[in-house]
Amino acid sequence: MESLAIDAKNSHQGSWRKFKRLKRGYFSFVLLSLMILMSCFGELMFNSKALLVQYQNELYWPVFSSAIEGKRFGLAYEYETNYRQLKKHWLEENTPHSNFVILPIVPFNATEVDLKDGAYPPLPPSMTTQHYLGTDTIGRDVLVRLVYGFRTAMFFAITLLIVEYFVGVLIGCFMGFLGGGFDLFFQRIIEVWSNIPFLYIVMIMSSLITPGFWSLVFIMALFGWMSMTWYMRSASYKEANRDYVLAAKMMGASNLRIICKHIIPNTVSTIITFVPFSVAGGITALTALDFLSFGLPAPSPSWGELLKQGVDNLDHPWIISSVVISLSFVLMLVTFIGEAIREVFDPKHKIYYE
Amino acid sequence: MKQNTYTLKLISFFVIFIFAMYIKVAIADSLPSDIEWITNTSASEWSSTTAQKGGLLRLNIASFPPTLRTVGPDSNNSFRNFLTDNQMPLVDMHPNSGEVIPMLASHWAYDNDGKTVYYKIKKNARWSNGNPVTADDFLFALKFNRSQDIVAPWYNKHFSEEIIDVIKFDTHTIAIVGARIKPKKDLHYYYSILPRAKHFHQLDENWVNNFNWKIEPNTGPYQINNIRKGKLIAFNRKDKWWAKDDQFLRNRFNVDNILIKVVRDPNTAFKYFERGELDVFNLTMPNLWHEKANGPMFQKGFIHKLSFYNQIAQGASGLFLNLENNILKDINVRKAIAHSLNFEKIIKQLLRNDYQRLPRFHSGYGEYSNEDISPLGFNLKQANTYLDSAGWSEKDSLGIRTQGNDRLSLTVSYGNKLHEPQIIVLTEEAKKAGIELRPQYLESTSFYKNVIEKKHDIAWLGWSTGFRPAYWQHFHSDNAYKPQTNNITNLANLNIDSLINQYRSSVVEKDRVRLAHLLEKEIADQVVFVPSTMVPFTRVGFWRWLKLPDSIATKSSTSLFNPFHPTHGGLFWIDAKSKNNSLTAKRSGKGFTASTTINDDYKVTDQ
Repeated sequence: MESLAIDAKNSHQGSWRKFKRLKRGYFSFVLLSLMILMSCFGELMFNSKALLVQYQNELYWPVFSSAIEGKRFGLAYEYETNYRQLKKHWLEENTPHSNFVILPIVPFNATEVDLKDGAYPPLPPSMTTQHYLGTDTIGRDVLVRLVYGFRTAMFFAITLLIVEYFVGVLIGCFMGFLGGGFDLFFQRIIEVWSNIPFLYIVMIMSSLITPGFWSLVFIMALFGWMSMTWYMRSASYKEANRDYVLAAKMMGASNLRIICKHIIPNTVSTIITFVPFSVAGGITALTALDFLSFGLPAPSPSWGELLKQGVDNLDHPWIISSVVISLSFVLMLVTFIGEAIREVFDPKHKIYYE
Repeated sequence: MKQNTYTLKLISFFVIFIFAMYIKVAIADSLPSDIEWITNTSASEWSSTTAQKGGLLRLNIASFPPTLRTVGPDSNNSFRNFLTDNQMPLVDMHPNSGEVIPMLASHWAYDNDGKTVYYKIKKNARWSNGNPVTADDFLFALKFNRSQDIVAPWYNKHFSEEIIDVIKFDTHTIAIVGARIKPKKDLHYYYSILPRAKHFHQLDENWVNNFNWKIEPNTGPYQINNIRKGKLIAFNRKDKWWAKDDQFLRNRFNVDNILIKVVRDPNTAFKYFERGELDVFNLTMPNLWHEKANGPMFQKGFIHKLSFYNQIAQGASGLFLNLENNILKDINVRKAIAHSLNFEKIIKQLLRNDYQRLPRFHSGYGEYSNEDISPLGFNLKQANTYLDSAGWSEKDSLGIRTQGNDRLSLTVSYGNKLHEPQIIVLTEEAKKAGIELRPQYLESTSFYKNVIEKKHDIAWLGWSTGFRPAYWQHFHSDNAYKPQTNNITNLANLNIDSLINQYRSSVVEKDRVRLAHLLEKEIADQVVFVPSTMVPFTRVGFWRWLKLPDSIATKSSTSLFNPFHPTHGGLFWIDAKSKNNSLTAKRSGKGFTASTTINDDYKVTDQ
């Protein structure tokens, strides 16, 4: 038992080393992780709130504090300060040097509408307006919406993956391990369940309730957990007759313990191989639903919604090109990672025939 | 011998039957003697005498109709108007002056009971297959519309409860009896019935299926002559149309053939138009008029642009505040919301100053509209004052006002994605007053259900227009706090109720106008409805060979190139010479001077 566990650990370390050697997949992994990490701190880079304001020798951190009224900075209004205007105002007024505003790189938030007199949205990309990828049909910054849309899509895909895999892996393992009536019963359930047209159900449900992040995860997981069960069923079916499982059984381990502590760690390669492809699936599913307006409610930033706008406004190519390029790029990264993982866990490299 | 007795019996039965019929006709209704027939032939015509006949007009629709029936399941589609416009009404309203003018009927008269109108059908009126239009077709129309076989509950109800009877006096004289007393002119609108060809329909339980794709005989200027399912429908001008020389109908309906193509995607349709495969394209949307419609064909003057201001009743569109919501019960909050909605910004920066602010619930109803009422404008100071006085004086970390544990947060539901940009700009602006409005898109059917069951906080929608202002359905307490009624604000106010009752029972036009003005004011003061925008014009692009009368169109024209409408349709014609010239010029790469015209003859300036 002890030696087996060590073996598993060693083999995982070996896999990681092997993965690192596959440059394309490894760099994709590093890049994607960096992108996710950066999007987590998106508010510091893509925000209409200033990072730091000094006014009358007092420091303010608007990004980290609650809404600060314009009055506080000597402006005429009571609503939240428009920091871009404040900066411009102070520049024009030549206020004392002690007053300053530090804005994020892109000084817009995802839902903010930047309309101008005489120029109508969508506005083309421009350095002077600081809309580096232009604006959408309502006047919101495309780049900012791409970033926050990416964050939503990634978190959606990962959450969906966790929920689906938790249910799918557990049920699949039990099916393979227990066999008999339990196996038969769930086989039939899965067969019936997977024949329900998923997209229609999602459309009907989204038209009845206004979907939010969690309700969408729930709806999609409800119809997506089946895919993993078959693989896990066959994997655990195979493992169930191995010596270490029998040993654990003899030592009196419960079924749940055997599955969670022994079978799943030994079938983890199967699970991990599927992860990148499920992530890609999650991203495209959310994008597709948003594209058809059955996804996240307005005005949440989303790639599907941008794609829809892009298709409807082909004569304003910056919308469609930004979203198509980003989407292809992210899906490409995920696929490269997936390929590398498959390579690492490819049984051809492991099995030695006697 | 036996044979003879049988024949004799048959003949005697037949004689008795004829005799019985004769008695029935003899004792049938007779016309009252004291009625006064009206013809109104003095009204002015609005067509152009220089119009030429001939040519082909190519239009587009977004989807192929699911049926050619005009009633029953799936019949309420966008193609239906092409069919119903080709059925002449008995009388219609003059498109400029609004007076009653003859169409299928030559004479009409009013009964003293205040709800019956007599009509004399023109003797030369013919169905498209040559059969004469008679009183029986109207009697049949009533039977038809009341029949369960057409599977149209609304029609069944309307033609039973609103139209009490259609009476035949002779082959060409009928009376229509309505349910309630109304001003004379209103009777034509509320109690109208289009004839149905009796010889054509076979009413039974299979009618809906059997008549899906049958071409129904009509009385109008055109009839369908070609259908390619999923692709196109072609109409052909009736060469010997019975009404072609009739007053108000002559010099109109000039084009020989009208081809209606199915082009599903509007972007593709525009490309077709620019290539000259469609003759006309609606350019009402600001991005079309200002941006897309500027290509070489426009620059070279092949396609002309025309904007025409009209004066039609405007649908009440805007935000409907549900009084069932505890926050919205407070009139100060409602006023604050009205002051926090920045429609000025939308009109100026999103809609390119093309659209106008809708002034009130009923607008464009002639003298019934109360022109003194204008909507509350964007004013943060006032919004803040109202909210402070309503007790919403604290603000949370996001700058949204709170009162105790409650946040000033409301959903704005809407059922049409086209309105999303406007709603998003409004909600962003409302934050400045400390009001959080959360946009909530619902698919149109569930949006309708949500609103009609009054589950919304604030609903963004527009009602269709009527002939006269309608208050009872929208604002009477009879319809408040009940599902499936049109009082979606749940307004229940005793004073307003009593005014509505007076308005409904009054038959004197002057009183009705006065009451309508009073009601409009009372309702505006309650701030349960915040008007959004209106489009007081119609805009098109058209190839230069299409010609219009000097007056261009009529006061009530909703479209300039409507081919069939009995009053404002069919005013244009195709200049064959100009078409030849243009096509030659196009091939050789030459051009003409670009043309953009804005006609504001009917623009209402104070709105």
